[in-house]
Amino acid sequence: MTAERFHALVAAYGADRRHWPEDERAAAEAFAAAHADVAAPALDDADALDALLHRSPTPQVSMALRDRVLAAAVTASGRAGRTGRVWIDRLSLAFGAGWAVATCAGVAAGVIMTANFAADAQADAVLYQASLLGVDDTEVLG
Amino acid sequence: MATFADPDEELVRRVGQGDPAAIQAMVARKLPRMLALAQRMLGDPVEAEDVAQEAMVRAWRQAPRWVSGRARFDTWLHRVALNLCYDRLRRRREIPTDAPPERRDEGPAPDRGLLAADVGAAVNGALARLPDRQREAIVLCHYQELSNIEAAGLMEISIEALESLLSRGRRALRLALAEHRPGAEGVSK
Repeated sequence: MTAERFHALVAAYGADRRHWPEDERAAAEAFAAAHADVAAPALDDADALDALLHRSPTPQVSMALRDRVLAAAVTASGRAGRTGRVWIDRLSLAFGAGWAVATCAGVAAGVIMTANFAADAQADAVLYQASLLGVDDTEVLG
Repeated sequence: MATFADPDEELVRRVGQGDPAAIQAMVARKLPRMLALAQRMLGDPVEAEDVAQEAMVRAWRQAPRWVSGRARFDTWLHRVALNLCYDRLRRRREIPTDAPPERRDEGPAPDRGLLAADVGAAVNGALARLPDRQREAIVLCHYQELSNIEAAGLMEISIEALESLLSRGRRALRLALAEHRPGAEGVSK
């Protein structure tokens, strides 16, 4: 790792080692340790910009968006629940807010109108699980 | 036989089978990621929601016929979302207008000082003003935390070209955000 390459790497990827190219990470870290006088100013400068970039707020997924996406999963798989009303009620119970019902009513209506009406416990389970708060990714995947 | 590990492989398989828990997990894992990508690419929360939703709809359609080993599912989903973003960016350019598209979340409110939230808005504003390809490179590498190989592959450019975009983008951001850097006058915590 040359000083020139180290500076180019920090200029592109910043100071966070996790963002550095995997095949150059060890060499760059070794360079930084061995040549702190050269590396530290570049890292400090890049770190200041990284910190600012992290101030960009991460958008939060609204319940309405989440529900639309879940409803789309049901539609896409062609397995509408037994009745849209059931899961509207469940969403209402889960979120305890009228807005959720109002927001989802239109989506549910579309699902009911367009999907086949065959009862399918699996699709119903999607919506039931959607109404349960706190299902964790890692729990599901084990 | 997969030639690389795809952390989403098992989840996609279960989604393809209509497993309710897997669908729920996929939403938890990918929807925030797609929303963040679209928000930073487009700078418009409404359009970002539309893009994130459409990307997930395509994921539901793709999952039953997903063939593992060809690509990471996350990379494929990024490609879908990026294409949707570029469609919208292209449409903006094609619509004749006297004024540039409105960018939201720019600058502090006039009736208060520079608060922490305003720094975030300033960062978003600076990102929005970058050329599209520089913004894409920074969003993919810095915010979406893709590897340089994945990002370059998605952008269909060489690693060298990616690094050039990243360097120029970061240089422009450094200039645009100079007043917010530690030690700058009026910087907020």
